[in-house]
Amino acid sequence: MIEFKNVNKWFGKLHVLNNIDLKIPKGEVLVICGPSGSGKSTLIRCINRLEKIQKGEIIVNKTPVHDKHTNLTKLRAQIGFVFQQFHLYPHMTVLQNVMLAPVNVKKIDKSDAEKIALKKLEKVGLTEKSHAYPAQLSGGQQQRVAIARGLAMSPEIMLFDEPTSALDPEMIGEVLDVMVNLVSEGMTMCVVTHEMGFAKKVADRVLFMDDGKIVETGTPDAFFDNPKTDRAAEFISKILTH
Amino acid sequence: MMGFYFSRLVEIYPFFLKGLWMTSKIAFISLVSCTLIGFLLGIFRSSNSIVLKRIVGVYVAFVRGTPFVVQIFIIFFILPEWGLQLDAFPAALLAMAIMGSAFICEIVAGGIHSIHKGQWEAATASGLNLVQQLRLVIVPQAMKVILPPLVGQYVLLIKDTSVVSVIGVMELTRVGWVTVVRIPEGLMVFSLVGVLYFSISYPLILLSNYLERKMAV
Amino acid sequence: MLVDFNFRIIFEYLPLFLTGLKSTFLISVVSIILALITGIIACACRISGIKTIKYPAIAYIEIIRSTPLLVQIYFLYFGLPTLGLRVPEIQTGILALMLNSGAYIAEIIRAGINSVDEGQLEAGTSSGLNYFQKMRFIILPQALGVTIPPLLGQNIVLVKDSALLSLISVMELTRCGQTMTSERFMPSEAFFTVAFFYMCIYFCLKAVADWSQRKLIFREAY
Repeated sequence: MIEFKNVNKWFGKLHVLNNIDLKIPKGEVLVICGPSGSGKSTLIRCINRLEKIQKGEIIVNKTPVHDKHTNLTKLRAQIGFVFQQFHLYPHMTVLQNVMLAPVNVKKIDKSDAEKIALKKLEKVGLTEKSHAYPAQLSGGQQQRVAIARGLAMSPEIMLFDEPTSALDPEMIGEVLDVMVNLVSEGMTMCVVTHEMGFAKKVADRVLFMDDGKIVETGTPDAFFDNPKTDRAAEFISKILTH
Repeated sequence: MMGFYFSRLVEIYPFFLKGLWMTSKIAFISLVSCTLIGFLLGIFRSSNSIVLKRIVGVYVAFVRGTPFVVQIFIIFFILPEWGLQLDAFPAALLAMAIMGSAFICEIVAGGIHSIHKGQWEAATASGLNLVQQLRLVIVPQAMKVILPPLVGQYVLLIKDTSVVSVIGVMELTRVGWVTVVRIPEGLMVFSLVGVLYFSISYPLILLSNYLERKMAV
Repeated sequence: MLVDFNFRIIFEYLPLFLTGLKSTFLISVVSIILALITGIIACACRISGIKTIKYPAIAYIEIIRSTPLLVQIYFLYFGLPTLGLRVPEIQTGILALMLNSGAYIAEIIRAGINSVDEGQLEAGTSSGLNYFQKMRFIILPQALGVTIPPLLGQNIVLVKDSALLSLISVMELTRCGQTMTSERFMPSEAFFTVAFFYMCIYFCLKAVADWSQRKLIFREAY
């Protein structure tokens, strides 16, 4: 469903993505981890073209992402993105935040869009907050709304860029629970995270990146308990000591 | 002596009100035209197109780098050489529009620039196109940053209408200037002119201060 | 059109323009220095607790800010003679610029002082410092960083404002343009040259202002 072919990206002289070859089949839950600066966020941001690549190809559902002629609107309607800093629209209510894309991109009727939005908010457990403003919600609640916003277009793929890194510890659980539920519904997911418990519970595969390269991949159990490379082992021991 | 001149002043008071009316007309038309053009230019100035940014940048630099009175002279005296002969009133409106829109452009661009990049990214990731992003997400949030200096700029524009008196437009300042020739009571004449300007500027200044306090919350 | 742009005429009038430029420069420098002094005094009165000096200061500032500079110039130019004072135009002009910019500078300084965190004052008070010591050691040094960029901006405004003095017959840069236009009837050459000179001044002053903004923002980031 998502394919990376010899993908390379540079930020000036910095080689942030180095010959990335990757295949993510439909329904797979992929966790990407690695030290900061390893390129993991950049990797998923290239999937919906928030970042551009200089070399190689990324193909999503048979559509080349970085092609000039690709209909980006259609492409992005299939991909939901959740940011580390949530980036909810502060001047709109929760419900309006979730409804914005369906109404304006898919041109769905307002009342239908509202029904869809409420269903998504129900999925993340926040229907009672639909008329609140983001500033009135806790961090965990805001991130759950962000997930509902990502789900609003009924995408086939959900991308998560360190969704719990900006949250206070006691709120991480509520967000991870929502994500676990999505997995059980068969959603294709790419999650950049350090949450090992989440990875072990639901991930099909773990990717370890360092210096722009994919250093190691494997099933969560195999990776976290028996890393094959030294760098991976070093990284795991560091996040374990927290 | 003061009494004699004072009665003359009362006699020509309607003349002053006509001047105030002319000033208000110029101010109102200018505020509207400058806001519309200024917002458009401000959006161009914030765009990703380097060409667009540079062109607007050159225009803004010229307007901000030269005195308004020089710009008025250029429009009134030089444009006829290029075939565009304008009467005083339209020339004044054109000069105000060009000058005011450059300043409003910078205010709008500053407001858009203040919006966190993440808002742009969230809107892009949802599939919204550029116009939708600006209309629904960016500009509504930018208005908080734009409104107080915008109202402040409106006060400046009202005061700048006084400079168009140099090309003969019979607005409030010119009324004072013409009057003082006949009634050489400079203090009294221009105090009256000042009071009339004060009456339309000060409420806007209070509004601008109020907005600044409110938006800082 | 532009092809007929007569550079020879400009060179012929260059001495006049340079005289005007020198005049503009002198007027601006004198006015800004006087305006700074006026602004500091007005600001001190404005923030003081003594009502008899606070309210006149507020009145001065609000009147200046609510009325056009040209009206203020005419007020002095036509008004001073009626008081029996024969003041040369150039001094009238400098007085008008001084009073006008002084009010804006007072507000800039006041904003700078207000920008210093309340906690700083509290820390000073707890250490036992009196009002003047707090001003001197805590408030003013920090306020300075915030105040300098807008002050440089006001400087740029003042140079442009000086052009209005041409309307009371002061022989500064803009007046030279008017003189050349009335003598030779070539407004393009005259006013584009004038505009060119103002833009040169503007870019120099702006470079200084931008540099100060960069240097001071760096210091504020903690």
